[in-house]
Amino acid sequence: MRLNFMLNGKETIVDTQPDRRVVDLLREDLGLIGAKECCGAGECGACTILVNGISRLSCLMLAAQLEGMEVTTIEGVAPEGGFDIVQQAFIDHGAVQCGFCTPGMVLAVMDLLHRNPQPTSTEIREGLSGNLCRCTGYQKIVEAVLAAAALLNGRRG
Amino acid sequence: MPTWAESKIMHHNSRLITSEPLVIGRSAPRVDALTKVAGEEKYATDYYPENYLWAGIKRAAYPHARIKSLDISQAKNMAGVISVLTSQDVLGSNRLGIFEKDQPILADGIVRHYGEAVALVTAETKEILEQALAAIMVKYEPLAAVFDPEEAVAKDAVVLYPGRADGNVLLRGEISCGRGAEALVDCAFTAEVSIALNWQDHAFLETEAGVAWLEEDGTIAMIASTQTPFRDRLELAEALKIPPNKFRVRVPYLGGAFGGKDGITVQGFLALAAQHSGGRAVKMWYSREERFLAGTKRHPAVMKYTLGCDREGLLQALDCTILMDTGAYSALGGEVLELAMEHAGGPYCIPHTRIKGAVVYTNNPVASAFRGFGVPQVAAAIEQVVDELAKIVGFDSLTFRLKNAVRRGSVTPAGVLLTQTVGMGECLSKVQEHRLWRERQSWQKSAPPFKRRGVGLAACYHAVGFGPVIPDYANAKLELTTDGRILVSVGVVDMGQGNASTYMQIVGHILFQGYDNMELVLPNTSRTLPSASSSASRTTFTYGKALTEAANILKERILARALLLFSFQLLEQLSVQDLVLLPGRILHQPSGREVPLKMIAGFMDHSERIATYSYTCPVNKQVLPTGKNLRHHGYPHRVFSYGVQLVRLQVDTLTGEVEVCDLLNCIDAGCVLNPQVFEQQIQGGAAQGIGYALFEDFALQEGKIRTNDFSTYILPTAMDIPNMETVVVSLAEDDGPYGMKGAGEISIDGVLPAIANGIAAIIGTRITRGTLTGEKILLTLRQAGKEAVR
Amino acid sequence: MDVLFPRTIQELRELFVSYPDGRILAGGTDLLVQIRKQGNKPSTLFSVEHLAQLQRVEVNETELFIGAGVTHQQLLECPIIKQHFPVLYDALSVLGSPPIRHSGTLGGNVCTASPAGDTLPPLYVLGAKIAISEQTAQRCVPIAQFIRGPGHTILKQGEFVTGIYIPLPMPNTFSAYYKVGKRKALAISIASLAVMLELNSDETVKNLKLAWGSVGPTVMMLPAVEDFLKGKILSDEVLAQAGEMVMLSTKPIDDIRASAEYRRHLTANLLFYLCSDSRLDSI
Repeated sequence: MRLNFMLNGKETIVDTQPDRRVVDLLREDLGLIGAKECCGAGECGACTILVNGISRLSCLMLAAQLEGMEVTTIEGVAPEGGFDIVQQAFIDHGAVQCGFCTPGMVLAVMDLLHRNPQPTSTEIREGLSGNLCRCTGYQKIVEAVLAAAALLNGRRG
Repeated sequence: MPTWAESKIMHHNSRLITSEPLVIGRSAPRVDALTKVAGEEKYATDYYPENYLWAGIKRAAYPHARIKSLDISQAKNMAGVISVLTSQDVLGSNRLGIFEKDQPILADGIVRHYGEAVALVTAETKEILEQALAAIMVKYEPLAAVFDPEEAVAKDAVVLYPGRADGNVLLRGEISCGRGAEALVDCAFTAEVSIALNWQDHAFLETEAGVAWLEEDGTIAMIASTQTPFRDRLELAEALKIPPNKFRVRVPYLGGAFGGKDGITVQGFLALAAQHSGGRAVKMWYSREERFLAGTKRHPAVMKYTLGCDREGLLQALDCTILMDTGAYSALGGEVLELAMEHAGGPYCIPHTRIKGAVVYTNNPVASAFRGFGVPQVAAAIEQVVDELAKIVGFDSLTFRLKNAVRRGSVTPAGVLLTQTVGMGECLSKVQEHRLWRERQSWQKSAPPFKRRGVGLAACYHAVGFGPVIPDYANAKLELTTDGRILVSVGVVDMGQGNASTYMQIVGHILFQGYDNMELVLPNTSRTLPSASSSASRTTFTYGKALTEAANILKERILARALLLFSFQLLEQLSVQDLVLLPGRILHQPSGREVPLKMIAGFMDHSERIATYSYTCPVNKQVLPTGKNLRHHGYPHRVFSYGVQLVRLQVDTLTGEVEVCDLLNCIDAGCVLNPQVFEQQIQGGAAQGIGYALFEDFALQEGKIRTNDFSTYILPTAMDIPNMETVVVSLAEDDGPYGMKGAGEISIDGVLPAIANGIAAIIGTRITRGTLTGEKILLTLRQAGKEAVR
Repeated sequence: MDVLFPRTIQELRELFVSYPDGRILAGGTDLLVQIRKQGNKPSTLFSVEHLAQLQRVEVNETELFIGAGVTHQQLLECPIIKQHFPVLYDALSVLGSPPIRHSGTLGGNVCTASPAGDTLPPLYVLGAKIAISEQTAQRCVPIAQFIRGPGHTILKQGEFVTGIYIPLPMPNTFSAYYKVGKRKALAISIASLAVMLELNSDETVKNLKLAWGSVGPTVMMLPAVEDFLKGKILSDEVLAQAGEMVMLSTKPIDDIRASAEYRRHLTANLLFYLCSDSRLDSI
């Protein structure tokens, strides 16, 4: 089946099985290896992408569902030659260790900050509760999000 | 289908990529964070070579069985199936193992645990692979099996390896000091605990994976998620009968490992598949369920401890036994036992000890290295019996530990003389001054309705490196390119702990360069030099020393060549002391003249631009009269890190749920090279310790794993881990680069007992078996008359 | 599997005729996980993501209608849910995780009919009715009749849920959902309790509805316990007595997450949240 959708700001057409998992489509067909598979059952968040700005689990989405959607993967987050504020905060605050959860985590953070621009620590932990990390113990991720939120609000203010 | 090039660090316009020179001691952000946040860093799972094939494994459906017949004909004839391989296709010994070669790559006649690999299929697509695997017909003759380690050592136990002299015992040992267990009789006070601990799965997010292909010259090229690329070649060489230099293994950053990739996982399968794939690349990637089934785990342990002290509360005697279940194959079971036994008495002075240990085979999954490597298990026992004894004698748990803590020059309960830095007392003192300890009474009194609060504590220590026999070595390599950039060889795999970035920091510090003028060469058997495994808390400790020397050698050469150049320019005799390295250039200070590093590089021969240094760690030279058969497994070590873990807990008397509200980790791992990276390790280890203690209730029944996915094997989420505080005790350890010691494991060792001690203090009764689940806690509350109390 | 996107209820009905073994794909958080685990792929999936009629949330003076395709996140963002249906709001907040809530739907949670489904006990105490589309008609069934057993509803082949009707609660009603899981997110409930409570001016119980989840094949309600508590003040002693009654009536199972015995005690202990929830002070 032919699918038409926006991928990281570009019009994209693919020809694939309608029930192909989106995570496989991204990784195997489109070379976008940022979204990771680590459980295949929606329990870890490593496959997180944004669909119409909302965080979704690409291991539980089928290709056919992409028709007409706006998809953002981690590869589409950084402005040309730079980093998004969230990414920069992750770098600065030591929120990245092995990095396998990081793409999904960054997108989950972007979804969270879009909904709740000034989250408390507790709200950050709730907002990221669908993204497992085995390396960091989450603390520096929370600190990075607090810093990113402060910066974003500083800019708005 | 495009081919995927080797990953490079992208030079984004970022505050990080500056020419600001790196310095030891500063929290320089990790260089690998740049590509990782952008999703650009490629892990072993992320390679999809041109025209690749999928490979997968047919796994045993019984925990112990003879293979009566193996019919691969249907699978082999399926369209899209490239090969179906069995043990017949393994031309070498078909035996893997680090000390004992007992594990087949593909089973040859007998399977000894659920999920053991029986056949290897390579196919065009994942779907065809699944169908082909299902079409392989295996007829098994089930054999009697043994799942309980205590049964496994009993007289008429089912024996996994009938030829072995000691039945199912892989290794047994005894360490005896002073008058041993006899001295208990003279103790004024004694306490006992029996602790049984559960398995733990590493649950790294990147499961075992890799790709492999045959080069034109017959070399097997491989990109794999492994902690041990050079050792892997040696293991595979014997098993597959292929010379080690006919393997080329490249290792990207790992998506976590924690010991679970310390050895052969998919590499043997990949090599075999690549040999039979008609020249095409093959890819393997374990699903989560397959990881649970096939991957190694932490050794469960059963421990009985009796600890005694004199009237003043000074520890006198320890009698303990440790029984560990290593599952069906040896892997690193012997080494784990040794480290456990060496640490069995905790960081205390106990003059009379008898430490008996055994690690046994069962038809359970294979247990091997997992962060802590036996120390979390024994810490769970010693730290709980210490708390019990403190209570009996009438000391608070911290004072009792302070009274008995080892110092530099002490002898440990395993008879090890501590010649290097010992920060145990400092760690305990810092915790004693900390508000979480000082305010423990008011914490206890402030519990909300139906909740109970308390505080728990544990002290621990952890040896660095491999011990006196297996060399803890590293071969550092640096290269100055003709562009004037520095290539830093990452000799030891970075599995997430940040050692690669720290290596850059060391080199940057010595050569006065920033990230922008350096590049990492990740582990690659063709480019980097053998530097042993990413394990044992030695990944920066050992390689960092070698790298320091190599960097100084390179610096000398650069300055010497620059000296010549300046001498010609200034027509004077100059001294090398007049020169300093600056970012991208060398400065002759008296005249103010500079020359670009690139120009100097241009004057140097290739052989001069590469600096290598071979380093082996010093070892403990004690010849101990006890535990002789443990020596080559690591007994005794020389350098130890120290730590204290303190937790504030809140228990819900209605449901048994425990919340860890605060965690304090006070660590002596020597001087800190990068505070941010250091904290990363400490926080991460603590979180895994919380998982081990409270959440990860691994369920095994008759050798079959029941908790085999993330909906049943529960990892803590961001809502389950508290904010954690790290306090550093920083004593300068000369053995380590810039005074550091290993920090990767000390942070997990005491977490479970700290939590267990806290729960015991709250309820008044101790839970001594397995994971501390809400169910167990509610039951214990009920038995203590404390269920549903306002 | 083919994936089709009906735009109207009528289209969906016709698809069920054309593809009898077809299944509705709502959020996919249950269905796709189950298909992966069991390998039983239907030939066709009907995604309701673009079926506007199922995305509605409407309220009148007496009741709320939630379309079957409304996601948990959308409901969490509805002020009316937070304000008037806190028991449902509580449950949605602890269901799964954020990305799961972004695609999971109320209709899906009801039709999956897991004994541990977080939205179910709240819907029971709220007296929800399930609107079912038959081949040519509609009917409404109380949720207690809709769910027959673990994973089983009364839906016949070709039928599907279009939405859920919930009567508006009386003013000054306290409602809450308490969940015990193995962790604070992404947790399948081990035992849970939904409560709707109205107090008299003297703080005795005027009206009470209790529904327990994960302690039986379906959600458990105990009218005898509700009757016992009516007219009484919810003191520790009274709740302890109620707890004893509850323990005698509940027959949970052992499974990988918890033993029957643990569940039995939780069923009783959860009642104590009724006298210790600080939110009670404001009603």
